[in-house]
Amino acid sequence: MERKQPDLVLIVARSFATKLATPTVIIDARGDLVYFNDAAADVLGRSYLDVGALRASRWQELFEPRTLDEQPLTAEQTPGGVALLERRPVHDSFAMRGLDGREHEITVTAFPLFSHPDEVVGAMSIFWELPAAP
Amino acid sequence: MIVRVWGARGSLAAPGPATVGYGGNTPCVELELADGATLILDAGSGIRELGQRLLQRDPGVAHICLTHLHLDHVEGLGFFGPLWRAGWKLRFWGPPSTTATLRERVSRYLSPPLFPIGLSEAPAEATFEDVPRGPWCVGSAIIEAEAVEHRGPTVGYRIEEEDRVLAYLPDHEPYLTAALEDEPRWISGWALAAGADLLLHDSQYTDEEYEQRLGWGHSSGTHAAAFARAAEVSRLALFHHDPMRSDRALEELYDEVAELLRNDQEPPLIAREGLEIELRAAP
Repeated sequence: MERKQPDLVLIVARSFATKLATPTVIIDARGDLVYFNDAAADVLGRSYLDVGALRASRWQELFEPRTLDEQPLTAEQTPGGVALLERRPVHDSFAMRGLDGREHEITVTAFPLFSHPDEVVGAMSIFWELPAAP
Repeated sequence: MIVRVWGARGSLAAPGPATVGYGGNTPCVELELADGATLILDAGSGIRELGQRLLQRDPGVAHICLTHLHLDHVEGLGFFGPLWRAGWKLRFWGPPSTTATLRERVSRYLSPPLFPIGLSEAPAEATFEDVPRGPWCVGSAIIEAEAVEHRGPTVGYRIEEEDRVLAYLPDHEPYLTAALEDEPRWISGWALAAGADLLLHDSQYTDEEYEQRLGWGHSSGTHAAAFARAAEVSRLALFHHDPMRSDRALEELYDEVAELLRNDQEPPLIAREGLEIELRAAP
């Protein structure tokens, strides 16, 4: 039996996210998307149950993150990626496309998930849609 | 390995006629490994009597794995005979903390005003280490410790020897982390228990009690059964009995759990003081 499982901090973060009404995305230490909650599904265009876990390269390809002036962002340049790589909280805004084809501008607060003072097991990003320009 | 239960009561020692059948001592489980090494899981009040037995032999080494430092899991230390006998080497393992070393945290209990004598006065040679992040060996056993869902820093243990596995999660509330019926890898503690021959698991509450104590860090018997099923263990032993639970009430809880697991595994059992189970490699 394959016994590998995520660190408890990631498990508890995911459990927390399931209960939040705020859109929330969780990535693991490799930057792979391992969960997003129902509130996030409204923006991302499909539910997590439909989509499942996504490798970093795949979610970057699917959601097409871009700066607000339309410069492409890599997964590492999104707030979640920066939080993971630089081990610090980040707040930023960017544009992305949902899996239903709708465009969104979102503002994101991301922070790293430390299981030990020297070990980051992932990052949690909570976000809101930016109000549409008048 | 031989597994001996010296205490299976949770939260508070509960001696008396109503609990004499399964015992009132708080958690302590002795593992006698194939090479003769002694591994002790938790230091609840059950460790007092175990200590008396260990003193009958020449001083040696004992490894003591603490799941966490709630009082019911350390309260027996002050009366653990080998700690007060020169020549004994006691190696403690426990959950890491960001605020204090394991020795400092254990010393909070073993020092005035909570205890008259300080840990530093104990004649035995005691060492304290955070559990490693990967497997490590004690005698002929391989041990794994992982953080599990409970109040405060807490680990569960998986001990493997001769292809037999004991999983020990005495204080655990996996229901908080995921639906217990699916996605096993997202259930706290699952990897520790997966495929174990014997799982000693928290089953403190009835379903009705759990509704009032959600988030207190413990499981109902129903949740223990669901966890055991998700982890595909061979046998579940109900552990960490509520101090208010009489022997008779405990057997009623057992009946409910046994019914849930009727088709899945060997019949569950109730961990009781004096219980001895040998986990031996298949011939």
